[in-house]
Amino acid sequence: MNSRIENRKNPGIRRSRVGAAAGGLVRGLFLLLVLSLVVFFLARACPGDPLRSWYGDGVDRLSAAQKETMRRNLGLDRSLWMQYGLWLRNLFQGSLGISLKYKRPVTAVLGSVAGNTAILGLLAYVMTFLPAFRIGSSCALKEGSRKDRRLSRIAVVTGNIPSFFLGLLLILFFAVKIRLFPTGGAYSYGMAHSLPDRIWHLVLPCAVLVLEHVGYYGLMVRNLLVEETRKDYVLLHKSQGIPREKILRKYCMKNILPGMIPAMTMAVPHILGGTYVVEMVFGYPGLGTLAFESALYKDFNVLMAVTLLTGALVIFCNMLGEVLSAAIDPRMRDDAADFREVDYE
Amino acid sequence: MNKKKNRLGPGVRLSITLLAVVGIASLLAPLLAPYGPNEMGPAINHAPSADHLFGTDSMGRDLLSRILYGGRASLCIGLMAAAISTGIAMVYGSISGMSRRWVDRGLMGFADLMLSVPQILIVVFLQAVFGKSGYLSLALSIGVTGWMAMARIIRNEVRRIRETDYVTAARMMGGSFGYILRKHLLPGFLPAVLYAAVSSIGAAMMTEATLSFMGLGLPVAEVSWGSLLSDSQNALLSGSWWIILIPGIVLIGTLIAIAALGEQVRKGNTRLHSNL
Repeated sequence: MNSRIENRKNPGIRRSRVGAAAGGLVRGLFLLLVLSLVVFFLARACPGDPLRSWYGDGVDRLSAAQKETMRRNLGLDRSLWMQYGLWLRNLFQGSLGISLKYKRPVTAVLGSVAGNTAILGLLAYVMTFLPAFRIGSSCALKEGSRKDRRLSRIAVVTGNIPSFFLGLLLILFFAVKIRLFPTGGAYSYGMAHSLPDRIWHLVLPCAVLVLEHVGYYGLMVRNLLVEETRKDYVLLHKSQGIPREKILRKYCMKNILPGMIPAMTMAVPHILGGTYVVEMVFGYPGLGTLAFESALYKDFNVLMAVTLLTGALVIFCNMLGEVLSAAIDPRMRDDAADFREVDYE
Repeated sequence: MNKKKNRLGPGVRLSITLLAVVGIASLLAPLLAPYGPNEMGPAINHAPSADHLFGTDSMGRDLLSRILYGGRASLCIGLMAAAISTGIAMVYGSISGMSRRWVDRGLMGFADLMLSVPQILIVVFLQAVFGKSGYLSLALSIGVTGWMAMARIIRNEVRRIRETDYVTAARMMGGSFGYILRKHLLPGFLPAVLYAAVSSIGAAMMTEATLSFMGLGLPVAEVSWGSLLSDSQNALLSGSWWIILIPGIVLIGTLIAIAALGEQVRKGNTRLHSNL
């Protein structure tokens, strides 16, 4: 309500694109801070000695006095809030502690596998949305046809197969029975830098992720398009003699983008979560495998780091989505919340 | 397109039947199961036969009995988790929807933040904090991580309803928040929530299965459909397809039936005819 009044009062004053982006950045950083707070207190709520989780098993060989000094260094003798502050300071200095299981700094452990997850996740994301747009539009074009009705059914089925099970099925068939693809891993022994080998290992995990999500997003594209075809401009274009396919692919498609971008940003945590599970099933060395192993071994430093990293990535993608939305759709801009009512320039 | 609204389609009827069968069979597991869930027999890795309808696993346990007992855990945890997240979502969404703008923004911002970490990762985190767990703590960690999307739906519905005149009238006459929630908001957003609630049962079951599959769910002695599948690494090696396929099909069948039920609950209100 307030913003509308302000807009009316000063229609000339507009925040610049840069200003809006900076605002988004500040908000993103704030969200990250809250996330780190939640993660920190969750991890501290768990049973176990924080000293051990920070320095590893080496703690056992220390004298009581040494332990006391270390405790003080980590601030464990102070209040939880002070501890959080210290933890945050360490975080900004690039230190997330030692991994209990791997006996290495957490950042090094993370760095060694984050790339693998990025490759798999990104590939799955692209391979999901390219066909999703294609499938959705071809179904919307033939709305009500047998093919169209089949899509929603297939989407319901594929969306309800747990990805770990789909992974198992694919392994059972393609890796065990006909031995076309490897059962897991990111590369064959000693072939870490061979591109064909890596692609060969990526096929099955990626297929699981794509099969899992493509129906759902295809259906989403289809539903948005179908809704779009009810609008009057479609009738106008039709009366102008523009072919149906062109109306759909050129005009309707453009108009559903503002609806699709939030869905595509929401897809990031979904597909990323799926990636983590799939990594686990295929024994693919990535953040997901790392996270689940850390949970089993109660390696909280790693778990915290993976959670924070994931949250940061998703928050960044959300911001990107907002910027994209604002760029293609003026109604989405912060300063034009009441675009329709106020002015058309 | 011109389906009659009041008649249930064959798919929905099939789903209800399937769910009823699965539910009753799990409930009556002790009566129906031919063997105990952890009873080991001499027949190891046997394919389905008359003695063992669904075959046996690598420790000679009867798969049919394990699926029957496992259904109890899976359904029970799914229902509990869905109840927990629906409850949280209703309260949280209503509060957010009824509050002033800045409170609403803060609450929804927090929900969005929780959504920004994949649910499975938070659940795994919580499971690591709780340690090995029983039904309740597992349902709790799935439930408290699965309410965000639903809360947003409810919040949007509440925002819509609170602008209506009858809510204004109720507030004018001094109706308390609880009263308005019960009398006016709840009936208003129930249809939208019902769909989300039903789907959340399926989602919770899937999360439970994934967790148990990874060994982060129920302890080994407790059987669920997910933990049945955690044995699959051995099955892959020995080529015992039934150990993977049969529990999987039961799980997926149930999930699809729940999804179909949810779809039935949701009412389509799109215009019937395309301009295209």
